[in-house]
Amino acid sequence: MAMAALRREGRRFAAPLISNNPINPLHSSFAPAKEQALLGVRSISTQIVRNRMKSVRNIQKITKAMKMVAASKLRAIQTRAENSRGLWQPFTALLGDTPSVDVKKNVIVTISSDKGLCGGINSTSVKISRALHKLNSGPDKESKYVVLGEKAKAQLVRDSKKNIELILTELQKNPLNYTQVSVLADDILKNVENDALRIVFNKFQSVVSFLPTTATVLSPEVVEREAESGGKLGELDSYEIEGGETKSEILQNLSEFQFSCVLFNAVLENACSEQGARMSAMDSSSRNAGEMLDRLTLTYNRTRQASITTELIEIISGASALEG
Amino acid sequence: MFTILSFKVDMVIVPATTGQMGILPGHTASISELKPGVLSIHDGNDVKKYFVSSGFAFIHSNSVADIMAAEAVPIEQVDPASVQKQFTEFTQKLSSASTDLEKAEAQIRVDVLVALNSALSG
Repeated sequence: MAMAALRREGRRFAAPLISNNPINPLHSSFAPAKEQALLGVRSISTQIVRNRMKSVRNIQKITKAMKMVAASKLRAIQTRAENSRGLWQPFTALLGDTPSVDVKKNVIVTISSDKGLCGGINSTSVKISRALHKLNSGPDKESKYVVLGEKAKAQLVRDSKKNIELILTELQKNPLNYTQVSVLADDILKNVENDALRIVFNKFQSVVSFLPTTATVLSPEVVEREAESGGKLGELDSYEIEGGETKSEILQNLSEFQFSCVLFNAVLENACSEQGARMSAMDSSSRNAGEMLDRLTLTYNRTRQASITTELIEIISGASALEG
Repeated sequence: MFTILSFKVDMVIVPATTGQMGILPGHTASISELKPGVLSIHDGNDVKKYFVSSGFAFIHSNSVADIMAAEAVPIEQVDPASVQKQFTEFTQKLSSASTDLEKAEAQIRVDVLVALNSALSG
């Protein structure tokens, strides 16, 4: 009876018989399981294993729930992101997207998420931003950062603090809409002088694939310069400018509108990529938790059976000692 | 809210800053800024009207026109009564506006409402 009670509490009564030190059996059977492990016991107590199994099971449930939440958020935002692609397509058809343009003042707009647990997308964005910064810093060129999102802020503040012009966080507190982004774009254009804006974000290709992309928006002066030098923008002159305003004013409005459209699309795509990456991260996490649980269950059963066997041996050897 | 509509149509009339501009196939390449007004799409005898807030219209030389608007609402969804009410409200605000900023804001609203009004009646 007493032995069964001790076993239920997960105590190893046989511990003192196995260990080398002559310890008072009564004392050690009430010792916590951890101390028994330190005494050189071959297998751990079932209590520890059971606690671990409980916590792993909880983690599995939580990550599964997070995956569902991310999937539903992704569904909601995916159609909007795909529709918003049409916003910048006419601009690119007209003005082209020239990442190789060489300008004096570059501004790198890095878009990232506010929350974590979304895989490696924020790190890739920051890596690309840093590479762009290196490419565009030289004797007569400079580049500054505008950071959107907590995660990129945490990474960039560490080593490029003096190059960051503007930090904006909590973009997704209210559902994303164009008005909010156009105010943001206005903010950026007013406060940061630039010749070219390079927006770094993760383009959403499918639920499992996200492509880090850079979208380049040129300021009106650079557009004029490039138009004169020929190339894709050379055709710009063939377009008549309607309206009483001068060409430069129209170009100014055009480039501001282009920036807000491109930024809007970039923010939506990044939000989609964030949810997709979170889905796959949580999915692999639940799978890992499941595997861990399987291994722990095997250990638990082995431990349990070992303690039962040991009890039987003690009983039988005790009985045979009495007879003999 | 964006929908990308892409059709082959006969004619499009856009509210450019210089006035209503009609675009037919073969129009010369042009970039024009739009002011708030009615955009009407004519396809045969079918006419669809939208109220656009502002934006740009690109006309390419291959008879493709891109119209980009910050907001576009089908004219059926505009409520005449509330337009009228807001019009009187903001004309009053315009006359009583003190700072330049308030004046500019009220002026913009009045312009949009005037365009809406004429869109509904015309």
